[in-house]
Amino acid sequence: MKYKWITALAGLLFSLHASAQVVNEMQDSIPEIVVTGTGTQHLLKDAPVQTEVISGRILKNYSAKSLQDLLMGLTSSLDFNEDDMGSQMQMNGLGNSYILILIDGKRIHGDVGGQNDLGLIDPHNIDRIEIVKGASSALYGSDAIAGVINIITKKHDEGLLAENSTRVGSHGDIRQHNGIGIRLGKVSSYTNFQLQHTDGWQNTATEDPHQTEFLITDSRNKTVNRYTNWQISERLTYEPVKNLELYAEGSTYWKRIYRPSGKYAAVDVKTYDMEYHNRSLSAGGTWKLDGTDFISLDVDWNKHAYYYYFTAITLTDGYDPQGNFTPYYPYFPDDMELQSDQQRTMANLKGVFELSEHHRLNTGAEWRYDYLEAPMRVVGGEAKDHTSALYVQDEISYRLSDKVAANVTAGLRLNHNDQFGNCLTPKVSGMLSLGDDIRLRATWSQGFKTPTPKELQYRYVRYMNGTYLYLGNTELNPQTSNYYSLGGEYNRKGLNITVTGYLNDVDHMITLVTIPNSKAPAEYIAKYDPVKTRQYQNLESAKTKGVDVSVRYRINREWMAGLSYSYLDTDAKQYDTTHEKLVDVIIDGTAHHKGSWFATWNRSFSSKYQMGAGLYGRMSSKRYYQINGNGKGYQIWRLSTNHELTAKKMTYRIEAGVDNIFDYVDRTYHGLHLGTTTPGRTIYATLTIKFAQGKKLKFKSNNKYNSNSNDNEQD
Amino acid sequence: MNKIKYLFLGLLAMCTTAVFTSCDDDDQEPSIQYIEKEVIKEVEKEVPVPSSNWERYQELVTKDVKSKKQHDKAILLVAFGSTWQQAFDAFDTAIEAYKAEFKDYDVFLSYSSAICINRAAAGENAADGAEIRNYYAPPFWLNAFAAEGVRYKEIVVQSLQVIPGEEYTRVINYIKDFANNSNGDLDDKYLSEVVLKLGVPLLQDAEEDVPAVAKELNELYKDVAKEGVVAFMGHGNPDSYDTYKANVRYTQLEEALQVYSKNYYVGTVDMMGNFKTHVLARMQANGIKNGKVYCHPLMSIDGDHGHNDMAGDDDAWDEKEGYEANEEGEVEDTSWKMYFYRMGYTCNDDTMIEKGLLELPTIRQVWINHTHAAIDGEPLDYYHSKNPE
Repeated sequence: MKYKWITALAGLLFSLHASAQVVNEMQDSIPEIVVTGTGTQHLLKDAPVQTEVISGRILKNYSAKSLQDLLMGLTSSLDFNEDDMGSQMQMNGLGNSYILILIDGKRIHGDVGGQNDLGLIDPHNIDRIEIVKGASSALYGSDAIAGVINIITKKHDEGLLAENSTRVGSHGDIRQHNGIGIRLGKVSSYTNFQLQHTDGWQNTATEDPHQTEFLITDSRNKTVNRYTNWQISERLTYEPVKNLELYAEGSTYWKRIYRPSGKYAAVDVKTYDMEYHNRSLSAGGTWKLDGTDFISLDVDWNKHAYYYYFTAITLTDGYDPQGNFTPYYPYFPDDMELQSDQQRTMANLKGVFELSEHHRLNTGAEWRYDYLEAPMRVVGGEAKDHTSALYVQDEISYRLSDKVAANVTAGLRLNHNDQFGNCLTPKVSGMLSLGDDIRLRATWSQGFKTPTPKELQYRYVRYMNGTYLYLGNTELNPQTSNYYSLGGEYNRKGLNITVTGYLNDVDHMITLVTIPNSKAPAEYIAKYDPVKTRQYQNLESAKTKGVDVSVRYRINREWMAGLSYSYLDTDAKQYDTTHEKLVDVIIDGTAHHKGSWFATWNRSFSSKYQMGAGLYGRMSSKRYYQINGNGKGYQIWRLSTNHELTAKKMTYRIEAGVDNIFDYVDRTYHGLHLGTTTPGRTIYATLTIKFAQGKKLKFKSNNKYNSNSNDNEQD
Repeated sequence: MNKIKYLFLGLLAMCTTAVFTSCDDDDQEPSIQYIEKEVIKEVEKEVPVPSSNWERYQELVTKDVKSKKQHDKAILLVAFGSTWQQAFDAFDTAIEAYKAEFKDYDVFLSYSSAICINRAAAGENAADGAEIRNYYAPPFWLNAFAAEGVRYKEIVVQSLQVIPGEEYTRVINYIKDFANNSNGDLDDKYLSEVVLKLGVPLLQDAEEDVPAVAKELNELYKDVAKEGVVAFMGHGNPDSYDTYKANVRYTQLEEALQVYSKNYYVGTVDMMGNFKTHVLARMQANGIKNGKVYCHPLMSIDGDHGHNDMAGDDDAWDEKEGYEANEEGEVEDTSWKMYFYRMGYTCNDDTMIEKGLLELPTIRQVWINHTHAAIDGEPLDYYHSKNPE
């Protein structure tokens, strides 16, 4: 049955291909430039640090509803398992708190339980995504242990731009994007609005009978809850003189996750929703010096506040009218209670200087102040953290012969933290270029992650078929890692193959560990009577090792296909307080085999009309968990089509498709782990209307990078 | 609506102010301060807007009590709380039994766990068939009992705890705070007149309660004890909270039960030195190396602990090394069922006796007897002691 579908779809694509009038179309031929691996610009194929790129063209074809949607569909080393608390992203086996997400090189702010809110990123405004796997703390500091995802946003340089995009899909899915850009002489402004909404869905109404008193088949717990979020952002840029660009930007963001409430007090009764308020302000500038040299300064402030939005009368910890602590402070429907307000102020000074033909220096300083207010979740109600850092990196390039060139990038970061003092973090990457076609790369790098104020000072109670008490631990050490990788890349006539083997050896990983109730403060045990108490602790070690393979083939101007595969094995040793020894444990959510593949076809029938289609697939083998069952393996296919009409200054684009064509749904009982939370087959359609007047400023290419652009990924 | 009224009166006050300030005449009209006071009085009288969530919630509880008040005397049963249906049913049965026994009393039930209170209320889903169970926290019930329009003449607080430990101490403190008008929001005259009584926990008295409960348990389970071990699982206080040495009641109960049969054992979840591992050691010391082990919660209701800690499937058994106890001698992450099964006994779902003590009429009667004793006894002096023993 499945094969019939695929054959039919392929037939459809080929017939379109055959019958269409061939029009030679001048495609953009901008070489793919990457910045994430070294913080300096490189052609993708010449990047000293292996970088995976999801190009604008691929993004456009995929028509993703969210960042999560597109990362899940287009890379094999990332996986998600969206739930109440966030997207549960993993990169090569390590969770979101070990993945550094950057937006235009700046770290995203705000998490709940280590989960970044990916709704802060408007999928329609992404130009490309660069993924660098492995530790990058020498360049980026804390958190860059599993890897770095750098979201490069679109830069709007039109004289006047007005754009509206509306996407609707199954399960009440609505995505709205509006952008207005104006450029007046030296000043330009871009205003962006985005809205994301889903009604959520429920894959099963049956609760795991082992966790409930009796069989419940009409639970209200959803697989993914309904949510709405919106964001307005504004960016002003000013170029007072040539080579100097100043900017100021700000955004405000709101999100609510709606939690349905059922009738089983022990299982599905909820008395509050979750609400998030995020604000950001930043300013800075770049002063371009000779060649690729520049100095930049960025100062930014971010706030991420997390609230309970009560939907029923709820008694919780607070202070009575006399100012005494009480476990019975009442909240009423529509009241809100602040859970945590994370505020971050950062300043970054960076300079890139080409010292000679063989040396390029990237150096900088970073200052960071974190403030956490969490009245009822942190002992004392607030916590602060101060970090400053200096880093220096040299890219050394030598041509060893006509066909062989070597590049070594060495970086070192000195970090100073209030709590943990100084630490040095090195990184060394080497690349050997054998002719135009072959690149060999090797990396050794260290990563670190400082314990968050929450992990140090936490005190939280959760009810899920019994009371669970979560505690911070002031004895925590920073988590550190050593990452080793060896890879090869082959490029020829549109074919690109990369194979990378890696070992990521993480020490002192912090995770919640069940401890005997007797180890917890007795007052909490008496007050909450927890079924289990969990405390943040440093895992002695966790190793992830694997191989990532990627093949991309641009068959001709119209056809392109790609395949990526990740093999992963984990070997984690956790200190078991019950047995006071190290035990082998599984890193939750990891799968041995994951893959994704695609084939896309795009054609211009005239200068005014073009269309495209893409068939995508992704799979995962069984996902392992310590408790509550393993997640089933899955395979999901997606078909995406698009039509674009251009008439003078207007562009009309329609995208439509079917996700999860074969309607795969994991209906494992609620309370147990799912391989994927997909709701089954969904359809979607997007209409984008764009008005653009004035010259679009093309990529200001530098001769240095144009020398070798023929076979690169094109945009 | 209230806001509009308030606004309107405010506006009126402002207009009045404007009028009077514009009249310089030395006339006979009342002073502006007088009128403002009158306006505020009027507002306060007609629009009693609670100034905080605390007061608003208290008003809800008071309103609820007012609507249910049928007698001059009230009994408040106080339990930790649970969200299990079996526990709800057990509490319902207990309330009915109390109503039948104490016909001239209104009977209410209080939870001391905020999370259980929130989830039991589930009010918004009443339309779906969810039962609204307002098991308010003790301080709100007591304040409602003292509110104008309610004012019970006699209040009996009956602890549904098993041992006089930490939770029971909290119950005493609630009564003491109430009696002492700690928050200063109650009528002192009423407090000086109201008769306050406290019913003690199930195993309050080592000399009387322990043998009485042992006798009734043996009546219920003597046939079962002939077939194998009957291991009761109490809660117990963590070591640092062994208030008034209450944990010893479990040991005393085991001794009293063993007068009837050596097959009775009493262990706990939290009492140092009396975990399931210690129960096993005592069984083995008595020569019981195999056979059936029946498990029974020794808690007022059969909820999380009974279903998970006692009868759950959690099992930390290692095929090579077996169990490893922690430094306190307990095997964590393992239910009683799995533990005794691994230790070579016949212990499975069929030997789990899923009953809370409130579900056993003869044991429930011991609590009821305590309530009778409290009612018949002298009012206790809460003003001077936190422990009115």
